[in-house]
Amino acid sequence: MFPPSDRTFSRRDTALFLICIALSLTAVFSPERITTGIANALRGTALWPLVWLQERAEEGRTSRARLRVLMAERDSAAIAAQDLPSLVAENQRLRDLLGLSRRLKGRYVAAEVLHQAQATDARTLLLNVGTGDGVATFDPIVGPDGLLGVVSSAGRTTSVAMTWAHPEFRVSAFTPAGNAFGIVAAAPSATGNDAYLEFRGVPYRDSIPAGTPVLSSGLGGVYPNGIPIGTVVGVAREQPGWERVYRVRPAANPGSTAHVLVLVGSRTRSVGDAFAVEAGIGAPGDSSARPTQRPADSLRAAAERPGSGALRPAPRATQAAPAAPATPAPKPPSPAPKPAPKPVPPPPPSRADSARPRPSAGADSAPRPGPAPAADTTR
Amino acid sequence: MSSSRASRLQLALVLAVLIVLHFYARPRLLGPRFAPDFLLFALVVFAMRSGPGAGAVAGFLVGLANDALNPARFGASALAHTIVGYAAAWGRVVFFMDNLLVTSGFVAVGLWVRDFILLIASGVDQRQLLTELFLYSPIQAVITAAAGALVLYAFRQWFAVRLDA
Repeated sequence: MFPPSDRTFSRRDTALFLICIALSLTAVFSPERITTGIANALRGTALWPLVWLQERAEEGRTSRARLRVLMAERDSAAIAAQDLPSLVAENQRLRDLLGLSRRLKGRYVAAEVLHQAQATDARTLLLNVGTGDGVATFDPIVGPDGLLGVVSSAGRTTSVAMTWAHPEFRVSAFTPAGNAFGIVAAAPSATGNDAYLEFRGVPYRDSIPAGTPVLSSGLGGVYPNGIPIGTVVGVAREQPGWERVYRVRPAANPGSTAHVLVLVGSRTRSVGDAFAVEAGIGAPGDSSARPTQRPADSLRAAAERPGSGALRPAPRATQAAPAAPATPAPKPPSPAPKPAPKPVPPPPPSRADSARPRPSAGADSAPRPGPAPAADTTR
Repeated sequence: MSSSRASRLQLALVLAVLIVLHFYARPRLLGPRFAPDFLLFALVVFAMRSGPGAGAVAGFLVGLANDALNPARFGASALAHTIVGYAAAWGRVVFFMDNLLVTSGFVAVGLWVRDFILLIASGVDQRQLLTELFLYSPIQAVITAAAGALVLYAFRQWFAVRLDA
């Protein structure tokens, strides 16, 4: 049995309490440069066993679901292989398409999100990868649905990501039709789970109908071109004759994300191809806008059509390559501000940007990699 | 082995179990917003058994760990846990009983107060503050208190808690 604590109160207790309060307040008001270093050091040393334990827990938590998916895929493939041997080759090919990671052409690092019990979870995420895995500060974080945020600090084995719900998050964005550029930021009342984004700085003459997807433009050098950010749901506010601010429903929810991809290395390459399969959108001119079946679709169709013969991938391939520039799938029929038959100008892959009128140079809030000005690293 | 040394070992064992529960079992329970906060419960248990000064120091260390693992505003969690740890020990010194319901109730109140201080120190906007304090925090507080009551009941012999109201 535990001995009951001596029900006494000494000056030593009060002194310890005041010292701890003073240390806490010092930490609260210390520059982020210092506190980030302390946090990284703690995670890499004293807290490393706890981080390791939580990693194992996350793996265990998701392993059952992953096992179910794998078993379902295996069963589907087995059924298809029994009845339609020619599907085996297609199955393998489609498996290669499965998952966003397979579609990304650039370098990436897969990471697990270690959610915490605190109320501020989802504004920042703790990832189980760090500089030892090739992750650096300002690397974009994406999920299957779209943009989640950016790495704000990277330790050796862990890193911290600022999500779009963070008040300081900014990303340069555009609509796939190329008629509107602006800055996307969290709405002032963002809470992480039920939050909306705002598409700011859109010229008043450029009207964006509801349902229009919003993608990262690649301007600013932090986020690659073509990552889905969200979908326009309406006008949040406007300044007549000057600009409109649109409400944007985020594409990805950081509060419920368990696995993410950290895009490392060069960010000049468009990644719109990778996301177009999931979201059905893509920048004009991107081959990503082609309609593509999911891997499971053909297997399901084969299972529902016994004896109907092998699925033929060729027609889908020809269907997927229209000569005309592809248009984004969710484009609504509402009136566009410009004449319909006019060909849509190409989107802003980075190299072509110099020929286009660019928004302000420092479009992304997160600073560019490399020798960043001091203001970029401080809040 | 002396009885006080055995008691300390028992307390260390319970705290170790709670830490493992927090970092290994909690991610599998409910969601991050609603899963019981075993770390806060461990802090309250330790503070009540160790006195106000040790409670404050333990709270500071627990908060520092939380700050490093979820760095929304470094130091905010340390501040919140220091106050909760000190208050838990202080409350027991002044008027608490070793009662299951009283301890569980303090865990619930402590978690809500922790969230309140944490959110204020983190500088969140008013809407999120109200949502967290009046929706998510109370739910998590109740769940944490219930989980704490189960732990207390399981170790009732060691804790010598009273089960009557």
